Amino acid sequence: MTLMVLTVFSVALTLLGFFVSVPLYKRLTILGLSLALLSLLLTWGRPFALGPYQVDGIAQVFTLLALLGALWTVGLVRSRRFEFYLLVLYAALGMHLLASTKNLILMLVALEALSLPLYALATWRKGEGLEAALKYFLLGALAAAFFLYGTALHYGATGSLLAGTPGEGPLYALALGLLLVGLGFKVALAPFHFWTPDVYQGSPTPVVLFMATGVKAAAFAALLRVAAPGVPDALTLLIALSVILGNLAALGQQEAKRLLAYSSIAHAGYMALALYTGNATALGFYLLTYVLATGLAFAVLSEVSPDRVPLERLKGLFHRDPLLGLGLFVASLSLLGLPPLAGFWGKYLVFTEAAKAGQWGLLVLALITSAVSAYYYLALGLAVFQKGAAEARPRPLARSVALGVALLLILLGLIPGAVLPALAAG
Amino acid sequence: MVILAILLPILLGSLLLLGLPRTLGVWGAGLSFLLNLYLFLTHPGGMAHEVTLPLLPGFGVYWAFGLDGLAALFFLTIGLTVFLGALVAQVEGRFLGLALLMSGLLLGLFAARDLLVFYLFFEAALIPALLMLLFYGGEGRLKALYTFLLFTLAGSLPMLAAILAVKALGGSPSFLLEDLLAHPVGGRVAFWVFLGFALAFAIKTPLFPLHAWLPLFHQENHPSGLADAMGTLYKVGVFAFFRFAIPLAPGGFAELQGLLLFLAAISALYGAWVAFSAKDFKTLLAYAGVSHMGVAALGVFSGTPEGAMGGLYLLAASGVYTGGLFLLAGRLYERLHTLEIGRFRGLAESAPGLSALALFLFLAMVGLPGLSGFPGELLTLLGAYKASPWLTALAFLSVIAGVAYALTAFQKVFWEEGQRGAEDLKGAEWPFAFLAVAALVLMGVFPGFFVKGLEPLAEAFAKILGGGA
Repeated sequence: MTLMVLTVFSVALTLLGFFVSVPLYKRLTILGLSLALLSLLLTWGRPFALGPYQVDGIAQVFTLLALLGALWTVGLVRSRRFEFYLLVLYAALGMHLLASTKNLILMLVALEALSLPLYALATWRKGEGLEAALKYFLLGALAAAFFLYGTALHYGATGSLLAGTPGEGPLYALALGLLLVGLGFKVALAPFHFWTPDVYQGSPTPVVLFMATGVKAAAFAALLRVAAPGVPDALTLLIALSVILGNLAALGQQEAKRLLAYSSIAHAGYMALALYTGNATALGFYLLTYVLATGLAFAVLSEVSPDRVPLERLKGLFHRDPLLGLGLFVASLSLLGLPPLAGFWGKYLVFTEAAKAGQWGLLVLALITSAVSAYYYLALGLAVFQKGAAEARPRPLARSVALGVALLLILLGLIPGAVLPALAAG
Repeated sequence: MVILAILLPILLGSLLLLGLPRTLGVWGAGLSFLLNLYLFLTHPGGMAHEVTLPLLPGFGVYWAFGLDGLAALFFLTIGLTVFLGALVAQVEGRFLGLALLMSGLLLGLFAARDLLVFYLFFEAALIPALLMLLFYGGEGRLKALYTFLLFTLAGSLPMLAAILAVKALGGSPSFLLEDLLAHPVGGRVAFWVFLGFALAFAIKTPLFPLHAWLPLFHQENHPSGLADAMGTLYKVGVFAFFRFAIPLAPGGFAELQGLLLFLAAISALYGAWVAFSAKDFKTLLAYAGVSHMGVAALGVFSGTPEGAMGGLYLLAASGVYTGGLFLLAGRLYERLHTLEIGRFRGLAESAPGLSALALFLFLAMVGLPGLSGFPGELLTLLGAYKASPWLTALAFLSVIAGVAYALTAFQKVFWEEGQRGAEDLKGAEWPFAFLAVAALVLMGVFPGFFVKGLEPLAEAFAKILGGGA
């Protein structure tokens, strides 16, 4: 049903684009995404299958997160051209598809369906954006090639195209490894992360928001299916690399978007901790808190400037606009995982999964790097309180959204139990 | 009742943050104090007022609170200190709101019967402390803030690992303290688990050499002393060792006991030594705090019932007298706009009431018999002597040193010949002085009344160590 809504709207809006004014178009896109969200919630907890298209719990949880990211992006952007909204809609369709299939071929198709619009979106700004998009495109194509090769080997090793088919032998291990590489690019796990900082910095802020939230959600759904049965040891290495490289590199950043880009690599590492036990609830909750907090951070940044935001430019934001300043502060603390904010429970849940899987070494590493991350998250969150003359011309909507999401992060931190059963049922 | 006692300051504090007038905060702090006093007076001695509500039942996490003799004692001293602070600290309503918020979180911390809930309050209490420093701190506040936070977070993350490990490896169905105690961890695991806890709590004690955040924290905080008094209450390390770290991994503690006793003794001496040469009133108090916490930790680490009781009593009492002294420093700063000890001189002549109050607080701090510091120090001495006579002797040099630095400072500020005059106690400072002195005397003369619920706890504590090590 969600698929239908998204498809109908994508197709209809493709045609309508030439007749309808852009503001109305934006509203129609929001309507489409909202209806998709509604249809998802209406069928919550009721699995549905049609050939390789299977909407199960994982699909629902992660589609929900991806749609939230898409809605946020559309709400945030101020584009004068309708194509922007359309591309987001298509990407959302790809994300839903990626989250709702076990078939590796369909996954590949979905992966491309969500990637192609994003390549285009990354170029939205001229100049620097082009270079970023080119990097993104080349590496994305490479990732797709890895994924395809992995699919072929997977078929060779197990005789099946279904992700999660048990198998053995070096061929199988190689297949899983290649699939992991392909998806690793999309979630920005180290060492497949190197496009992230440049692309994050070069792309318009709303697009970055979309990459950081929606793409991650969809790709993690696929990772859950690929990695769940027997996680290869390679994953341990990827996680260790991600949390170390991501956090250390973020330490030295003076530009907010680059800082968040590196930190997103570290977050991918933390999220991947839940892959050992394949617990979709823990991962889903982490992603939910991450989507909210990152979304909030990028939303504030985009009110300050659609362009680069060095930390210097954030100074004084709290005095200029208390709500935006507090929003960024709360988002930083939640990303850091400071209780009682929602981010803490996300971290707690995935760390528990790592403990259950007996990954004590990784757990200790994750905790140490979390402590390191405090340094740069505080630099980001506290910059708004320092003396300075930040420029910001926020819209009233941005203020109320900042307030609402910040409150939501606090509320989710106080009663995480209110959402968890729902996630588990999905 | 406990939930109400915890929520009242949190709600009031939040309301004040939204801009309600300061007076409301003073009344609220008074109400909170009365409620805590009532809870303490009606406390039967054992475990009372237990509440358990689901937080994340699927993961074994519960909002579980309960008031034993120990928690009740801390409820009383926190309520009192915050009320004293609200009475005299000339701060705006929002600042007071943060202090109230923090006091509620501290109450939750002391009453928590679930390890993860304890962790939540432990970390959450950090946020108001951080905001007080951030919004009302001095020029170098960002550096102080960073140091404070990095130390704290560096400690609390190993603690989180230890919390996860205690449950996962011990096989407990939940984080409730009674479940965890029924499923202890042993062997190497116990060592690592204890180490994780010990790092976090040693920083919060603070034990030498992990105390480096403390002096900066006090120097940069608002001169009113309110934030400092709250910071004194936040020194929960000794309590947490007693309640969580040691009982949950007694084997690990046994391995590290020697080292910990040594560090505690060193902290006691080192703190006293630095305090002796301090030029500034707040630095003196900060290091005196390090010294006192060293003594308190020595008591708990001794593993004897007397030592543990003494250490905890000292911790509770120091919340009142050190907090009181910080508030007094705030009063002095308001009058003379300096905290440099050398620049006061001869205040006793112009402000006799103020100097009498200061004398009381100082004497309580150095452990004069009959005032609140004494019973704790005596018991600690008795207990620690059993565990390690030499280290105890070493540590108690700090008590002598304490008399020296406290009296020297007092003499310089209030007696030495000088021109500076200052206004005597006025307005709300009178009830502040009476309440503080009454508390100091009562806690010194009737310690038995305040420790009534402590004895069985300390016995059980020593028994765990005797049987589990």
